[in-house]
Amino acid sequence: MMTATDTPKLQGPGRRWRHGRDLVRVLVDRDLKILYKRSSLGFGWALITPLMQLFIFVFVFRRALAVQIPNYSSYVFTGVLVFGWFQSSLSQAGGLITNSKSLVTQPGFPLVLLPHVTVCVRLFHLALALPILFALLWGQGMRPGMPWLALPLLVIVQYLLIAGLAYPLASLNVIFRDTQHIVGVILQLMMFVTPVFYSLGMVPEGMRNWFYLNPMVGMVECWRAVLMENRWPDPGVVAGLLAFGATLLFVGRRVFVSQSHRFIEEL
Amino acid sequence: MIKPRVRAEGVCKSFRRKSAKGGWRALSAGVFSRSREAPLWALREVSFEVAPGQMLGIVGANGAGKSTLLRLLGGIGRPTTGTVRVEGRIGALLELGGSFQGDLSGRDNAMLAGVVAGLLRSEVRERMAAIIEFAELEDFIDAPVRTYSTGMAMRLAFAVAVHTDPEVMLVDEHLAVGDLAFQAKCAARIAALRAEGCAIVLVSHGMDQVKNLCDRALWLRHGEMVLCDSAAVVAEAYQEEMREESLRRTPEAPMKTTPEGTVLRARENRIGSLEMEITSVVLRPGPRIASGAPLELEIAYHAPVPIGAPVFVVSISSKDGAVCMDTNTQAGNVTLPDLFGRGSIRLTLERLDLGAGAYFVDVGVFASTWSHAYDYHWHAYHLNVEGLAGHKGLLAPPCSWMLGDVPAPGGCERVGAAVSMG
Repeated sequence: MMTATDTPKLQGPGRRWRHGRDLVRVLVDRDLKILYKRSSLGFGWALITPLMQLFIFVFVFRRALAVQIPNYSSYVFTGVLVFGWFQSSLSQAGGLITNSKSLVTQPGFPLVLLPHVTVCVRLFHLALALPILFALLWGQGMRPGMPWLALPLLVIVQYLLIAGLAYPLASLNVIFRDTQHIVGVILQLMMFVTPVFYSLGMVPEGMRNWFYLNPMVGMVECWRAVLMENRWPDPGVVAGLLAFGATLLFVGRRVFVSQSHRFIEEL
Repeated sequence: MIKPRVRAEGVCKSFRRKSAKGGWRALSAGVFSRSREAPLWALREVSFEVAPGQMLGIVGANGAGKSTLLRLLGGIGRPTTGTVRVEGRIGALLELGGSFQGDLSGRDNAMLAGVVAGLLRSEVRERMAAIIEFAELEDFIDAPVRTYSTGMAMRLAFAVAVHTDPEVMLVDEHLAVGDLAFQAKCAARIAALRAEGCAIVLVSHGMDQVKNLCDRALWLRHGEMVLCDSAAVVAEAYQEEMREESLRRTPEAPMKTTPEGTVLRARENRIGSLEMEITSVVLRPGPRIASGAPLELEIAYHAPVPIGAPVFVVSISSKDGAVCMDTNTQAGNVTLPDLFGRGSIRLTLERLDLGAGAYFVDVGVFASTWSHAYDYHWHAYHLNVEGLAGHKGLLAPPCSWMLGDVPAPGGCERVGAAVSMG
């Protein structure tokens, strides 16, 4: 039998950091395997939803309503994927604690990692669909350029934004179970006030500034600027979103940690 | 003085009564933390310590707060007042394979459980072979856990838990699951962990288990400590309490005669709440057997209401009160299902090597937590053992005499002339 002495024992914060990373890794693995292990299509399902949305939007808006946006299918697919990451993560955030009873009741389990698991799982789904998006962009004549280097930054900003919102939602759902359903409705409505299938240019000028209260408006525009127009995203918007996301995450995490001992009793 | 690994001081825990309504009322109660209803006290003023290498048993009826206490020790929730201090890494078996995912393989689940318990992925990988070997699941480890039997899942959970180098182990009644060989292995592993200084807290219903395994025991009743002392003292007091509780619950029932002609009088040779009755006890081949012959007991019962997992007890004692044998379904590793209606249970003794004489067979059925007896027939059934004249004492196993030479120093192998008696 091999023993723990085979590897030098990590101690202190270094070990805690690595353990947290390992824990997120195995939980993401678990979620992905559970999602797809017993379905015949497997990971194909990760692509079905965005592709269906793409076909519907293109058919309805392009053909039926004759929307005049150049490269409409790339335009819609970018919106669908970016907003999809946000929507699918947050629609699950409510149930994070209430559906993980077996983990919550493990001594020493760091609950604070749970939101990251969901956001990572959904990011993985986004990554699976990216090749299709790239092919679509290529097919419509768009080529990668220097501004593409900003993509990792956009992923980080959006990650902070989603995780920052996931913490308060997960906490709230423990004491108020209707949260999950209300969030579902709000996310659905948010899709219509985010330029997924239309452009902000179609919105009357007086209303346009109100749209920017929705952080996903700026987010989707940054992605499109890079992918479709091959230009750097507006630094002001990126900085604003980054500050907003980081603040949300910091405060949301604080509240979550201070409340976490109460979660167990409410379950 | 050695620093205790686990220390609880004046631990109290109250729960707010859950409002069945939920919704907005629950939200406002949660936000404003105001609750007009009196809190429910699950634990009151519980204090104890567990030193490295010590094993503490927690006993008490259902709802006495045992599991709540164990969870508080595991840092799941905080005590309302008082403090809980646990030093070192906690290994826990609180729920049977609680975090297992049926669709994942045993290997994936072992990795998951190991990392959740605090190991790094690389550490679990190093120990995987040992875990699989301990769980005896070499042939099934890549099959989904949903295809496992309860025993297999339990073995895997236990194997992972003991391979996480715990410094404190919290166990909720798991040792009673699994076959005897695996239980022996678990007991050996627990002894090894204790030798390395691991402190163990075990919640148990089985008094024998507590007496055999634990150094000390803590008895909880309605969240309060009744007694915290050596395991033997607590077990004795707990059993005494059970006798009193059974007597208190015994109704004024009319005299009854079993089909075999035994007369049962409540509070005289029969105690118990009679929620479930033993209707007849038949000894086979009969109440008169030869020494060393097999004996079979058939106990017929009647449960007018469903009874959750009761425990049947059989003991044989001599006329002067010496207990020759005392066994029960729990000790025999038989977990009974919920019983309802009429039925019977049989105990087979392959051979009964009792000396010639008259004995009593006491038969009873108890609540699963041993809190009280449903029905207990004391000295109601007679057993006569017939044997060879000249043997005295309670035991009469097959025996033979042999005459030998002067024993060689340091050895006892040499055998000389044999004189056999029989």
